[in-house]
Amino acid sequence: MPRIIIPLAVALVGLILFSHGALIHAKAIVAQVLLDRAFSQTIATGRPVKPWSWADTVPVARIEVKRLGVSTIALAGSSGQALAFGAGHVEGTAEPGEAGVAVYSAHRDTHFRFLKDVSIGDEIDVVGRDGRTFRYRADGTSVVRFDASGIDPGTERPELVLSTCWPFDALTQGPERYVLHATLIADQ
Amino acid sequence: MSDTIDYDIRSSRHPVRSWIVTMLLFLLLQAAAVALVGFTALFLSITPGWSAEGPLAPLTKPADARSGALLFKSDAGYAEAPRLGIDVDIVVSGPTARARVTQLFKNTSSQWMEAVYVYPLPTDSAVDTLKMIVGDRIVVGDIKPRQQAKVIYEQAKREGKTAALTEQERPNIFTNSLANIGPGETVLVQIEYQQPVAQVAGEFSLLVPLVVAPRYNPKPIVQSVDLRPGSDGWGAASNDPVPDRDRISPEVLDPAKDAPVNPTRITVRLQAGFVVGEVKSHHHQVTIDSPDAKTRVVTLAEGVVPADRDFELTWKPASEKMPSVGLFHEQVGDADYLLAFVTPPAVATTTQRPQPRDVIFVIDNSGSMGGTSIRQAKASLIYALGRLQPGDRFNVIRFDDTMTVLFPSSVPADAEHVGSATSYVSSLDARGGTEMVPAMRAALTDDGSDSDRVRQVVFLTDGAIGNEQQLFETITAMRGRSRIFMVGIGSAPNTYLMSRAAELGRGAFTHIGSVEQVEERMRDLFAKLENPVVTGLTATFSEASADLTPAVLPDVYRNEPLVLAAKIDRLAGSLQLKGRIGDQPWTITLPLSGAAEGKGLSKLWARRKIGDAEVAKTMRQMTPEEADGAILKLALEHQLVTRLTSLVAVDKTPRRPDGEPLRLAELPINLPAGWDFEKVFGERARMPAAQKERRAEADGDVQLAALKRPVVPTAPATITLPKTATDAELSMLLGLGLLLLELIWLVALRRRAAN
Repeated sequence: MPRIIIPLAVALVGLILFSHGALIHAKAIVAQVLLDRAFSQTIATGRPVKPWSWADTVPVARIEVKRLGVSTIALAGSSGQALAFGAGHVEGTAEPGEAGVAVYSAHRDTHFRFLKDVSIGDEIDVVGRDGRTFRYRADGTSVVRFDASGIDPGTERPELVLSTCWPFDALTQGPERYVLHATLIADQ
Repeated sequence: MSDTIDYDIRSSRHPVRSWIVTMLLFLLLQAAAVALVGFTALFLSITPGWSAEGPLAPLTKPADARSGALLFKSDAGYAEAPRLGIDVDIVVSGPTARARVTQLFKNTSSQWMEAVYVYPLPTDSAVDTLKMIVGDRIVVGDIKPRQQAKVIYEQAKREGKTAALTEQERPNIFTNSLANIGPGETVLVQIEYQQPVAQVAGEFSLLVPLVVAPRYNPKPIVQSVDLRPGSDGWGAASNDPVPDRDRISPEVLDPAKDAPVNPTRITVRLQAGFVVGEVKSHHHQVTIDSPDAKTRVVTLAEGVVPADRDFELTWKPASEKMPSVGLFHEQVGDADYLLAFVTPPAVATTTQRPQPRDVIFVIDNSGSMGGTSIRQAKASLIYALGRLQPGDRFNVIRFDDTMTVLFPSSVPADAEHVGSATSYVSSLDARGGTEMVPAMRAALTDDGSDSDRVRQVVFLTDGAIGNEQQLFETITAMRGRSRIFMVGIGSAPNTYLMSRAAELGRGAFTHIGSVEQVEERMRDLFAKLENPVVTGLTATFSEASADLTPAVLPDVYRNEPLVLAAKIDRLAGSLQLKGRIGDQPWTITLPLSGAAEGKGLSKLWARRKIGDAEVAKTMRQMTPEEADGAILKLALEHQLVTRLTSLVAVDKTPRRPDGEPLRLAELPINLPAGWDFEKVFGERARMPAAQKERRAEADGDVQLAALKRPVVPTAPATITLPKTATDAELSMLLGLGLLLLELIWLVALRRRAAN
């Protein structure tokens, strides 16, 4: 019997590992569909709409880079739970368009995979929950430690920071973060 | 035909084909399972199992928080405060200490600056000298009435002359203002003071406060009206319990965001006048050199320390017994000034049990007590509760900006009551403001029953309030038969409040600066509470006519010396002290001819006379005008900084060019060690913010922008970025790898089976 049990066990472990990874991506993709719908309703109704009934967070912004044709929904808060489904608006940072820096974080292998393709000068649109769109222009990138981001929360200018883990193609997590900085150029 | 095909597939004569079909089916099933498991789990599990999102890592250390590689904006728009360094040099000569405090102001900016620094000095210090050193010039300051000094300073400031001003805000809080520090320039301001050496429980001690703790200033709600005889019923209502709140509230740096400031160096040359035994620094690491048996040189082991806690040095004589008498004199002009220390003998408690007592414990659990202070206070109070005797009665009051009286009235100190009080005290948490006056009022409210019992109030606090005067007035009005024992808690307690409240309350002041000191100091306090007091003290000079301070001698507790200062016309005859220790009469006679030479005794005498006048004013024994007149006369005669007099030094040469603006920088101070910034910060947010713009009405050519700091109070100094990597890729790769491995294995098995 071990002739069958051992390959079966190995297959099971492989299956679990693979499905765990696939699950993360599946959640990220499916959740975005639901989040997009909830966010459109939020803008339409003016009230926060939960993407699914038992969600503990709500969509707060849509981040788009037209040149790359990407769009992702950001959730309130940057807890691990929120980041599984979308980008997170880091607690305590400014709202888009406000004076101060608005910081969004997301996983490098899901929602912010596109960050590596954003280059200086690209326009980034952020739609707030009131439906207003703020256009930022990327003007700097850097790699920092998570606890020494150097982001000045006291700034008076409306600024945007998108951050994700660095390096992009690493398989394990590390202390380094990739930070894309942008400044508001227009709001519509 | 179809039969053949069916047969072909199932038969083992075509093993390879059959195996491929099996594997395809297997993979298909696997993919289906993955999809099924994946999508089911998506809506069932919100928390991804082992993915890498964890809780956010906290800030590691402030230095890191400031060293990010990404800086969006230059901070050129912000003025940088002058740097401050402090050097304290103290010479102890027998009963007195002479201290020289040098403050070095270094202007690192490219603008002309005015620096304002609020700092503490010992409560009983007599400040008499101000020197300002600009380049190679030394300017010596003069004592002037406060308003006049201010006018001189302001005028020099306008004219571009470098000027320094030393003002007293409280007997233990002073302000140095220094105008026209040139770009890149360093100016030294040096003050000197005289201070008596304290004797506490068999030790000599010297306390050097280094930081003004943030004070709670009650809101101006309660109006107090001062109606004096002869005013025909018309009086002035004073609205604000702390009219000078802006002058005693410098900016306090959050230790989590800023590195400590105001590096301080301390040197104490100890010439004890006797062979020195143990020398101990209680809150700092020190190096002690012994040039000879009677001398010690004490320096900080670390060289410099941040000014964030009191420096406390104690020493004992090498011989077992403390000297019980000390007599010193100094001749100034045709007068002699005398300083006498007399420790009454410790009379053993008589055979009958000590008098039963009512003890009211009051504990401050306001936000300023957060951190280590509340632990010290709770430990002290729990120790005290354990020391109560069966015949005693007690009550416990706790206060912040609210108040709780534990029992409706005093209860017997039996096991049950003490137990419930102990568990109540253990559960206390520090938060909120410091409304001390209502708590003192509650503690002093005496139902008058059992007036044969001794009534004692033990008050544990850091004294971090700005309305000291209100508290003193409450004590004076309500003390009755109660005696007040102040227990100062924490690294920088308000010793002025403690010692004056104990004086007015005819009790004693005990300072507990660390948890290690709790037991020793509380034991001393209980020796005072439980043992007979020396009462009815009088002092008589046989030949000399004397101006004595204190004019009315206080009661003296166990292990405390009676300290007398007197101005006498000639050094002849003797001084006789009489009193009663418990029930026994006690007399001691000191021949004045035996007095040793002392230094600066005239200043100490004047300082104590000034303190007496302030007390007399509080107790309505002198009108404010009389008290102010007496204080001004003494201060000008003895060249002392007081509430009414300041020292001012002006460099004659104008230096700041016309049209160059002058920036005001109010130098920030450290949070006292062991304090919890959040607790004080929350409390301060609720206080009326009248600070900061205090000098906004600037004169023409002087631009007085208060130092703006690039820190938003509510937001963190830096933003911690969340973890943003999943192990999706890693898991999938590993999973695929395993499946592949298995595939190869199966192939191998099939091959072997086939053969």
